[in-house]
Amino acid sequence: MRKPKFPILHVWLDELSELVKDEGILIFVILLPLAYPLLYAMIYNTETQRELPICVVDDNMSARSRDFIRRVDATSEVSVAAHCTSMAEAQELLRRRDVYGILRIPREFDQRLWRGQQAVVGLYSDLTSMLYYKVEYLAVINVAQELNRNIKVMEHQQHTTAREESLARWPIRFDEVKMYNPAGGFAAFLIPPVLMLILQQALCLGVGMSMGRSRERFRGLVIPPTKHYKNTLAIVLGKALVHFLLFLLMAFYMAVCVTRWFGLPQLGHFWDLLGFFVPYLAACTFMAMFWSSFIYRREDCILLFVFMSIPLLFLSGVSWPGASIPPLWQAVASVFPSTWGLNAYVRIQGMGASLGDCRTEIIALWLLAGIYFLLTCFAYMFEIRRSVGRTILE
Amino acid sequence: MLKALWHIIRRELRAFGKRPIFLMIMFVAPLGFLWMFTSLMQAGLPTKLPAALVDEDDTHVTRQLTRILGTMEETQFVMQTHSFTEARQAMQRGEVYAIFRIPKGTTEAALTQRQPVVSFYTNDTYYVAASLLMKDMRKMGEMAGLAMTRETMRARGFRDDQIMGTIQPIVVESHPLGNPHLNYSVVLSNLIVPGLLMLIIMLTTSYSLGNEWKRGRQRHLYEMAGGRTWVAVVGKLLPQTVLYTIIFWLIDLVFYSYLDFPCHCGIPRMMLWGFLSVVASQGFGLVLFELFPGQMRMAMSACSLLGVMQFSLAGFSFPVSAMDLPFQWLSNIFPLHHYFLIYVNQALNGYSVSYVWPHVIALVAFVVAPLLLTWRLTDAFLHKEYRA
Repeated sequence: MRKPKFPILHVWLDELSELVKDEGILIFVILLPLAYPLLYAMIYNTETQRELPICVVDDNMSARSRDFIRRVDATSEVSVAAHCTSMAEAQELLRRRDVYGILRIPREFDQRLWRGQQAVVGLYSDLTSMLYYKVEYLAVINVAQELNRNIKVMEHQQHTTAREESLARWPIRFDEVKMYNPAGGFAAFLIPPVLMLILQQALCLGVGMSMGRSRERFRGLVIPPTKHYKNTLAIVLGKALVHFLLFLLMAFYMAVCVTRWFGLPQLGHFWDLLGFFVPYLAACTFMAMFWSSFIYRREDCILLFVFMSIPLLFLSGVSWPGASIPPLWQAVASVFPSTWGLNAYVRIQGMGASLGDCRTEIIALWLLAGIYFLLTCFAYMFEIRRSVGRTILE
Repeated sequence: MLKALWHIIRRELRAFGKRPIFLMIMFVAPLGFLWMFTSLMQAGLPTKLPAALVDEDDTHVTRQLTRILGTMEETQFVMQTHSFTEARQAMQRGEVYAIFRIPKGTTEAALTQRQPVVSFYTNDTYYVAASLLMKDMRKMGEMAGLAMTRETMRARGFRDDQIMGTIQPIVVESHPLGNPHLNYSVVLSNLIVPGLLMLIIMLTTSYSLGNEWKRGRQRHLYEMAGGRTWVAVVGKLLPQTVLYTIIFWLIDLVFYSYLDFPCHCGIPRMMLWGFLSVVASQGFGLVLFELFPGQMRMAMSACSLLGVMQFSLAGFSFPVSAMDLPFQWLSNIFPLHHYFLIYVNQALNGYSVSYVWPHVIALVAFVVAPLLLTWRLTDAFLHKEYRA
C-alpha cells in the first residue's frame, strides 16, 4: 500500500481495510444496523392491538344488554368471541387463553336502569400484556359513556330542541389530541429510540471487536508496533473516523429510509438531524473506544455490550417516564450517550424540535464526546508507551 | 466416566477463576439488574407526571376546573401559562408530557350554555406517560360535564342516588386480574430480570464452549471426557447450571418473598420453572453453538442478535397476539416467551399448570434439542479449528 503523508490517513486506511476484511466485525457494523431496524419495525408494525377476543357473560338477557354487547363488539379494539352462560365457563376460556378478558353484565342490569339506579358492569382483564387491559377498558368505557349520554337525554331529561339535547349530552366538550403519534401506536413510539440504541450498540460491538482483534494479533496491544502508530491524536482520530463516518451513513439510513418505509414520524430538518448525529455518534464512538480498551479478547465485547441495550432503553426515560426515575439511576444513565441521544432524536424527529429546544441534550452529548475522547487518548497513550517498551525490549 | 466428569468440572471451575470478566457477567450483572429494575420502578405506577396548563380564560370558573384537575393522581401541573406556543415548546423540550388548554371565552360559553370546548394534548411519543395522563384527563372531562348536570339537578330537588342514576347509569368496574394496582414493576421486572439472566446464560454457554476452540484445547477436553461428547459438554456446563440456578432462585426470593410480588403458586414452584428456564437457555445456546460448531464468534453473534429480540417477542409491552403471524411463530423459538407465559399462568393468576403444559414441554424441548445435533459437536471436537 502506498504510504500517505499524514499518519491520521494511514491509521484510517488501516482500520478501514481491517474492517472490510473481517466478517465478524462486518456482522455488527453492517448487518446489524441495516437489518435490525427493519426487523423491529416489522414486529411493531401493526402499531396496536385490534379486535382482541373477549367473552361476555350476559346474566340479564335483555334488549339493552344485547345492545351494549353489540356496541362493544363493534369497537375496533375488541371483538366478542364467545357468549358464556356462567362466570365459571368464562374463566375457563380465560385460562385456556382463548379470550383475554371477560365482560359481565349483571342480572338486574336493565331493570336497575329503568328504575333510574346505577348498574355496575364488570370487566375482568388478563394482564399478560398491559395493552390488553388498556384496549378492553377503552372499548367498554367508551360504549358505557355513550349509552349513559343516551339514557340521560332520552329517558331522564326531556329536551325540546336538538341543540338542547346536544348540550345535555356534552355540557363541556372535550377535545383529545394525541400529538406526534396520532394513532397512539407502538411503532411510532418505540422504533425511533430503538434506532438510536441500535447505533450505539452496533458501534460498541464493532469497535470492541476490532480492538480485541488487534490485541489478539499484536500480543495484547491495541495498536500495531509500527512507526505510524506513535501519534496518539492521529491514532485515536484515525480509528474513530472510520466508525464515525460509517455510522453517520447508517444514521441517515435509519432517519430517512427506515423512517420512510415504515411511515414513522419524520419532522426533523436535515441540519437539525446532522447537528444531533455528529455529537451523538462522536460520543458513542469515543465511549466505545474507551470501554473497549479494557477488552482483551474479541468475543468478550459481545458478553459485555449486548445485554446493556435493554437496561439502557429503560434508563433513557423514553419507555418508563424519566420524571419517575430515581436520582441515582438518572446519574448512572447520564454517563451513556444513549440516554441523551434517544431523547434528543425523539424530539427532533418525532416532535419537530429544533437543536435549540434540545440544548441540554446536545451540550451533554458534546461534553460526553469530549470526556470520552480525552479518556480514550489517555488509554492509547498508555498503550503506545507499552508498545514502545516492547519494541525496545525486542 | 463420573471421574472424567468431575475432572472436567474442576478444570472448568479453575478456568472461571482466571477470567474476571466471566465472573462479573455471571454474578454482578444479573444481581445488578435485579437491583436496578426493582428500584427503578419501585413507584409501581408512575404518578405526578408533569403537565402544562394553558388557561387563556383565567376566570374563577376555570380556576376551579384546574383545581379539580390538580387533584388527579397522575397529573401535576408544573407550568401555568397564557400562551399555547410556550407550552408546546416546553413539550418539545421534554419538560411536560401533556398540555391542558382552556380557550378564551370558556366561562362565557359555559354560563350562556353554548357548549365550551376544552382541549387536551398528550405527547404520545412517550407512550406510557401519555396513556396515563390521557386516562386522567378523560375521567376529568367526563366528571366536569357530569358535575354541571348534577348541580342543575340538585337545584331541581333530586336525591343524590337519583342523580347518579341519571348522569352515570352504567358504571364500569374494571378488574385487572392478578395485579389489581396495575403495578408495572410486578410484571415488567418479572419479565426483564429473568430475561436478562437468560440472555446472559445463552451467551456464556457458547462463550465458554467456544473458548476451548479459541485456546486450542478442544481436543484436550475431548480426551478428558474419554471421547464422549456429552460428558465434555455436561462437565463444562454443569457448574454454570448450578450457579445460574442459584441466581435465579435468589431473584425469585427477592421478588416473591422480599418485595411481595404476587405469587399464587408458591415460591418452590417458581423455583422449579426457574431451573427449567436456566437449562432451556443453556440448551438454546448449545443449539446455536452446534449450528456454528467451533465458531464461537458466529454462535455468539447469533445468540446476541436473537437474544435481544426475545424481549420484544415475549409480548408484555406489545402483545404477541397483535403481531403479524410470522412473528407469532417466531416468538416460540425463545425460552423467555414460554417462561413468561408460565409465569403469568402460575404466579400471577394461580391457574393450574395443565393450561400451560405446551409451554412446559417447549422448555423441556430446548433441553433435549441439542441432543439431535450432538454429531456436529463431535465432528467439531475432532476436525474443527478456531477461525479468527
